[in-house]
Amino acid sequence: MAASITPSRLAALVKTRCQIFQTAYNPTSARTGAKYLRARLRGPSMVKYYPPVANIAELARTYKNAGVVDFAEAQRLKDVEDKKRRGKGAPAKAKDKGQSRRTARRR
Amino acid sequence: MPNIRVLRDIKARELVKANEVIRRAYLYVARNESLPPQVRHQAQLQLNTLGRYTRPTTVKNRCSESGRGRGIMSEFALCRYQFRLKALNNEIPGVRKASW
Repeated sequence: MAASITPSRLAALVKTRCQIFQTAYNPTSARTGAKYLRARLRGPSMVKYYPPVANIAELARTYKNAGVVDFAEAQRLKDVEDKKRRGKGAPAKAKDKGQSRRTARRR
Repeated sequence: MPNIRVLRDIKARELVKANEVIRRAYLYVARNESLPPQVRHQAQLQLNTLGRYTRPTTVKNRCSESGRGRGIMSEFALCRYQFRLKALNNEIPGVRKASW
Protein backbone atom coordinates (compact mmCIF):
# COMPACT_ATOMS: atom_id res chain seq x y z
CA MET A 1 0.00 0.00 0.00
CA ALA A 2 1.31 3.44 -0.95
CA ALA A 3 -0.06 5.06 2.21
CA SER A 4 2.09 2.90 4.48
CA ILE A 5 5.42 4.21 3.05
CA THR A 6 6.98 6.66 5.50
CA PRO A 7 8.39 10.03 4.30
CA SER A 8 11.86 9.04 5.46
CA ARG A 9 11.74 5.94 3.28
CA LEU A 10 10.63 8.07 0.31
CA ALA A 11 13.48 10.51 0.93
CA ALA A 12 15.95 7.62 1.01
CA LEU A 13 14.51 6.40 -2.28
CA VAL A 14 14.98 9.81 -3.89
CA LYS A 15 18.54 9.99 -2.57
CA THR A 16 19.37 6.57 -4.03
CA ARG A 17 17.80 7.59 -7.32
CA CYS A 18 19.98 10.71 -7.42
CA GLN A 19 23.06 8.58 -6.78
CA ILE A 20 22.17 6.16 -9.55
CA PHE A 21 21.37 8.78 -12.19
CA GLN A 22 24.01 11.25 -10.94
CA THR A 23 21.63 14.13 -10.38
CA ALA A 24 21.93 16.67 -7.55
CA TYR A 25 20.04 15.70 -4.40
CA ASN A 26 18.14 18.80 -3.37
CA PRO A 27 15.33 17.82 -0.96
CA THR A 28 14.50 21.43 0.04
CA SER A 29 14.38 22.62 -3.61
CA ALA A 30 16.86 25.39 -2.77
CA ARG A 31 17.67 27.62 -5.73
CA THR A 32 21.22 26.96 -6.84
CA GLY A 33 21.20 29.04 -10.02
CA ALA A 34 22.28 25.97 -11.96
CA LYS A 35 19.70 26.64 -14.65
CA TYR A 36 21.66 29.71 -15.79
CA LEU A 37 24.73 27.55 -16.35
CA ARG A 38 22.83 24.64 -17.82
CA ALA A 39 20.94 26.61 -20.48
CA ARG A 40 22.49 26.82 -23.93
CA LEU A 41 23.95 30.12 -25.10
CA ARG A 42 21.48 32.02 -27.24
CA GLY A 43 23.76 34.70 -28.66
CA PRO A 44 25.27 32.72 -31.58
CA SER A 45 21.86 31.95 -33.08
CA MET A 46 20.59 35.48 -32.29
CA VAL A 47 23.20 37.20 -34.46
CA LYS A 48 22.31 34.94 -37.38
CA TYR A 49 18.71 36.17 -37.63
CA TYR A 50 19.14 38.88 -40.26
CA PRO A 51 20.64 37.88 -43.62
CA PRO A 52 24.00 39.62 -44.19
CA VAL A 53 23.84 42.80 -46.27
CA ALA A 54 26.73 44.25 -48.27
CA ASN A 55 27.92 47.56 -46.83
CA ILE A 56 28.62 49.58 -49.99
CA ALA A 57 30.21 52.51 -48.16
CA GLU A 58 32.70 50.22 -46.43
CA LEU A 59 33.42 48.29 -49.65
CA ALA A 60 34.14 51.53 -51.46
CA ARG A 61 36.44 52.65 -48.65
CA THR A 62 38.49 49.43 -48.61
CA TYR A 63 38.71 49.03 -52.43
CA LYS A 64 39.20 52.70 -53.26
CA ASN A 65 42.40 51.90 -55.19
CA ALA A 66 40.57 49.31 -57.29
CA GLY A 67 38.24 52.03 -58.58
CA VAL A 68 35.14 51.19 -56.51
CA VAL A 69 33.01 54.33 -56.13
CA ASP A 70 30.20 54.91 -53.64
CA PHE A 71 27.86 56.90 -55.88
CA ALA A 72 25.54 58.02 -53.08
CA GLU A 73 28.47 59.39 -51.05
CA ALA A 74 30.00 61.08 -54.11
CA GLN A 75 26.67 62.74 -54.87
CA ARG A 76 26.33 63.93 -51.28
CA LEU A 77 29.79 65.52 -51.28
CA LYS A 78 28.99 67.19 -54.60
CA ASP A 79 25.71 68.57 -53.19
CA VAL A 80 27.53 69.94 -50.13
CA GLU A 81 30.03 71.72 -52.40
CA ASP A 82 27.19 73.18 -54.50
CA LYS A 83 25.42 74.47 -51.40
CA LYS A 84 28.62 76.05 -50.09
CA ARG A 85 29.13 77.81 -53.43
CA ARG A 86 25.62 79.25 -53.26
CA GLY A 87 26.19 80.40 -49.68
CA LYS A 88 23.73 77.84 -48.29
CA GLY A 89 26.24 75.65 -46.47
CA ALA A 90 26.31 74.75 -42.79
CA PRO A 91 27.55 77.54 -40.47
CA ALA A 92 31.15 77.37 -39.32
CA LYS A 93 31.89 75.50 -36.10
CA ALA A 94 32.27 77.72 -33.04
CA LYS A 95 35.91 77.97 -31.87
CA ASP A 96 34.91 78.55 -28.22
CA LYS A 97 31.83 78.80 -26.04
CA GLY A 98 31.37 82.55 -26.68
CA GLN A 99 30.98 82.05 -30.40
CA SER A 100 28.31 79.41 -29.94
CA ARG A 101 25.00 80.48 -31.46
CA ARG A 102 23.16 78.78 -28.66
CA THR A 103 24.74 80.99 -25.97
CA ALA A 104 24.27 84.08 -28.17
CA ARG A 105 20.54 83.40 -28.39
CA ARG A 106 20.22 83.05 -24.63
CA ARG A 107 21.78 86.43 -23.96
CA MET B 1 19.70 49.49 -46.31
CA PRO B 2 18.03 48.39 -43.05
CA ASN B 3 16.25 51.11 -41.09
CA ILE B 4 17.42 52.40 -37.70
CA ARG B 5 15.26 50.02 -35.69
CA VAL B 6 16.78 47.04 -37.46
CA LEU B 7 20.29 48.49 -37.01
CA ARG B 8 19.59 48.95 -33.31
CA ASP B 9 18.36 45.37 -33.10
CA ILE B 10 21.52 44.10 -34.83
CA LYS B 11 23.59 46.06 -32.32
CA ALA B 12 21.58 44.53 -29.45
CA ARG B 13 22.10 41.03 -30.81
CA GLU B 14 25.84 41.51 -31.06
CA LEU B 15 26.07 42.96 -27.56
CA VAL B 16 23.97 40.13 -26.13
CA LYS B 17 26.31 37.62 -27.71
CA ALA B 18 29.42 39.45 -26.47
CA ASN B 19 28.19 39.71 -22.87
CA GLU B 20 26.26 36.46 -22.57
CA VAL B 21 28.85 34.42 -20.67
CA ILE B 22 29.68 37.09 -18.08
CA ARG B 23 25.97 37.78 -17.67
CA ARG B 24 25.23 34.09 -17.01
CA ALA B 25 28.05 33.96 -14.46
CA TYR B 26 26.65 36.93 -12.54
CA LEU B 27 23.14 35.48 -12.74
CA TYR B 28 24.40 32.20 -11.33
CA VAL B 29 25.98 33.95 -8.34
CA ALA B 30 23.06 36.30 -7.78
CA ARG B 31 20.41 33.55 -7.87
CA ASN B 32 22.35 30.95 -5.89
CA GLU B 33 20.75 30.74 -2.45
CA SER B 34 23.68 28.81 -0.99
CA LEU B 35 26.01 31.80 -1.36
CA PRO B 36 26.21 34.60 1.25
CA PRO B 37 23.73 37.45 0.69
CA GLN B 38 26.49 40.06 0.38
CA VAL B 39 28.11 38.22 -2.50
CA ARG B 40 24.75 37.74 -4.20
CA HIS B 41 23.96 41.43 -3.81
CA GLN B 42 27.28 42.43 -5.32
CA ALA B 43 26.61 40.17 -8.29
CA GLN B 44 23.18 41.76 -8.73
CA LEU B 45 24.76 45.23 -8.69
CA GLN B 46 27.21 44.10 -11.36
CA LEU B 47 24.29 42.83 -13.43
CA ASN B 48 22.69 46.25 -13.18
CA THR B 49 25.83 47.94 -14.51
CA LEU B 50 25.73 45.92 -17.74
CA GLY B 51 24.25 47.91 -20.58
CA ARG B 52 20.67 47.94 -21.76
CA TYR B 53 21.45 46.04 -24.95
CA THR B 54 23.19 43.17 -23.18
CA ARG B 55 19.81 41.85 -22.02
CA PRO B 56 18.43 39.19 -24.34
CA THR B 57 14.90 40.55 -23.87
CA THR B 58 15.80 43.76 -25.73
CA VAL B 59 16.21 41.72 -28.91
CA LYS B 60 13.14 41.69 -31.11
CA ASN B 61 12.62 39.78 -34.31
CA ARG B 62 11.96 42.34 -37.04
CA CYS B 63 11.24 42.07 -40.74
CA SER B 64 14.53 41.91 -42.64
CA GLU B 65 12.92 43.56 -45.69
CA SER B 66 10.76 46.34 -44.23
CA GLY B 67 11.87 46.55 -40.59
CA ARG B 68 8.31 46.01 -39.36
CA GLY B 69 8.08 44.79 -35.77
CA ARG B 70 4.68 43.13 -35.82
CA GLY B 71 3.24 40.23 -37.76
CA ILE B 72 6.63 38.58 -38.21
CA MET B 73 7.15 35.01 -39.37
CA SER B 74 10.39 34.29 -37.53
CA GLU B 75 11.34 31.29 -39.71
CA PHE B 76 11.63 33.61 -42.71
CA ALA B 77 12.48 36.86 -40.83
CA LEU B 78 9.73 38.58 -42.81
CA CYS B 79 6.53 40.38 -41.93
CA ARG B 80 3.28 38.99 -43.27
CA TYR B 81 3.08 41.36 -46.25
CA GLN B 82 6.70 40.94 -47.37
CA PHE B 83 6.27 37.20 -46.89
CA ARG B 84 3.24 37.26 -49.21
CA LEU B 85 5.02 39.35 -51.83
CA LYS B 86 8.07 37.12 -51.83
CA ALA B 87 6.10 33.90 -51.75
CA LEU B 88 4.00 34.99 -54.72
CA ASN B 89 7.25 35.85 -56.53
CA ASN B 90 8.57 32.33 -55.81
CA GLU B 91 11.46 33.82 -53.86
CA ILE B 92 10.93 31.62 -50.79
CA PRO B 93 11.89 27.98 -51.39
CA GLY B 94 9.19 25.45 -50.52
CA VAL B 95 6.40 28.01 -50.13
CA ARG B 96 3.51 28.23 -52.59
CA LYS B 97 0.01 29.64 -52.52
CA ALA B 98 -2.57 27.18 -51.22
CA SER B 99 -5.14 25.96 -53.69
CA TRP B 100 -7.58 23.09 -53.37
